[in-house]
Amino acid sequence: MSAASPAASGIDPRGPRFGAAITSVLLLVTVGLALVTPLGSSAVERLVEPAALLQLVLVALFAWGAFAGIQRHPYGAVFRALVAPRLAPPSEREDPAAPSFAQGVGLLVTGVGLLLHLLGVPGAIAVSAAAAFVAAFLNAAFAYCLGCQLYVLLVRAGLVGRRTA
Amino acid sequence: MIVALVVASAAIGFGVRSASGRVRTDGQHVDRSLTVDGAELTLLQLSSPVCSACAAMRRIGGHLAESDDGVGHREIDVTEHPALVRELGVMSTPTTLVVDRDGRVRSRIIGAATADTVRSTLQDARLAHEGVAA
Repeated sequence: MSAASPAASGIDPRGPRFGAAITSVLLLVTVGLALVTPLGSSAVERLVEPAALLQLVLVALFAWGAFAGIQRHPYGAVFRALVAPRLAPPSEREDPAAPSFAQGVGLLVTGVGLLLHLLGVPGAIAVSAAAAFVAAFLNAAFAYCLGCQLYVLLVRAGLVGRRTA
Repeated sequence: MIVALVVASAAIGFGVRSASGRVRTDGQHVDRSLTVDGAELTLLQLSSPVCSACAAMRRIGGHLAESDDGVGHREIDVTEHPALVRELGVMSTPTTLVVDRDGRVRSRIIGAATADTVRSTLQDARLAHEGVAA
């Protein structure tokens, strides 16, 4: 019996890693900008700070990957158009559920960071972007699979319920 | 600060990479229902729906079970077995348990491992079993 859903028509696993590389550079820039910008005195001031605007873009990109699925993410289109034709065919394909789940985690972390920043919490963008950077960098450089780790912890904590078998 | 972040992330990456595919000896947990009927040793793979490395382990376990009559391969979803996951202290997927005929969990392979690692883990489990029997 094979309960875990196998990838019927999987995606090239290097696609999400390519996207994670771009994301990790953007997150690093966000951390840098957040560290050199003093916290604005009003919510509007804090929103138009360069770090906050960049984080907003990243939140939108994570939301795209999480809700539309990683295979419809704009980085995936860039990968298929420009990168994949220059590479050998993938040795194996991947279920898009795992990288889409990771996008959702990225959305949660950067989204909460941005929200706290707008509420005036100092360092919220720098800390959340740094945390997201660690995961994105590990994904890009080491093929780290966030879903493989986090999902089990959610099951153990009882947050992911038993499906009707 | 930025450099420290990159260096720390790279250190975590090398740590995670070296931990992946490691084997731990068990022996406490016994559950008859974990075995594949007739198999001397069962590779019981615990997978999750959002897991890239599980597919690679599924292929390796499947191949080994096909080429070795004494080995069975079975895959279960952690979502449907939260109690087992808690009891065994499984922290990540894939975790592949090596279960003997009596349902005793002899060892576990954590993360994606090479076919050679899985083969030698099976071999060790067999030798340990013969050692006990002798």
